[in-house]
Amino acid sequence: MARLSGPYFVQPPVMSVRVEDSMDVMIVRDTVRRAGSLLGFSPANRAQLASAAATLAELVLKTGEPQDLHLNGVRQGEKVGLQISSEAPWLANVATSNVLIALRSKLGDLVDEILVEGNDPPNILLVMWLSEAVRRDGHREDEDGDDKP
Amino acid sequence: MALEALLIEDSKTQAAQIKDTLESVGLRVRVAFDGPDGLRDAIENPPSLIVLDVKLPTMDGFQVCRRLKRNPATQDVPVIMLTEKADPKATMSGLRAGADDYIPKDIFAAEHLINTLQELGIL
Repeated sequence: MARLSGPYFVQPPVMSVRVEDSMDVMIVRDTVRRAGSLLGFSPANRAQLASAAATLAELVLKTGEPQDLHLNGVRQGEKVGLQISSEAPWLANVATSNVLIALRSKLGDLVDEILVEGNDPPNILLVMWLSEAVRRDGHREDEDGDDKP
Repeated sequence: MALEALLIEDSKTQAAQIKDTLESVGLRVRVAFDGPDGLRDAIENPPSLIVLDVKLPTMDGFQVCRRLKRNPATQDVPVIMLTEKADPKATMSGLRAGADDYIPKDIFAAEHLINTLQELGIL
């Protein structure tokens, strides 16, 4: 089993999905929604988490090398969150700062933290905190939201 | 008396499937096949829930959702967006428009829809 990493204390739920083909992206979405539900995230936040996890899974698929996507609870002091992570051996020779810029431009609105740890292989970690999510829900209603995809 | 949902979906096939799902959990369902008709219907007779497709003729689901959330008659009605377009940008556009959930139309869609209805207190 691949290591669970990251700077935060890991707590249940602890789930993994093997990403090998496009069907697995749907399973990732479903699994992260369930994990988010167990931790108390709202439906809207679960939609964000599912989109972030699916994007990471699609990235894995594009490399052609199967990986495990880990979905687990994390804790830092009083804060509880959900962490989505995957090893990224295809990024071994890419500067971490460049990887972070690319990931933040794609996923920055969906999660609170994007981290890249280690280099043997690098590990991508996405975290959404429950307390931040509650605050975000409160603010969302005030946003103008005239953007289009 | 059963709660009523308004489904705004231009595909008759998909509308029939989603209607079946909603009726299977005891909701009465009325259907509008484009954004302007759905908006008019929702404002004239606010339902307990709106299930909204993103890709609609005339006015897309994001525009419809924003207008629903700005209208006093419908601003408190939960809106669940169902979509084939679930990339990060589209997801955030749906949520910023005021949707309570943004669910991809995949094999788990019906289950996620029902879970969200339970969580929103509709079931």
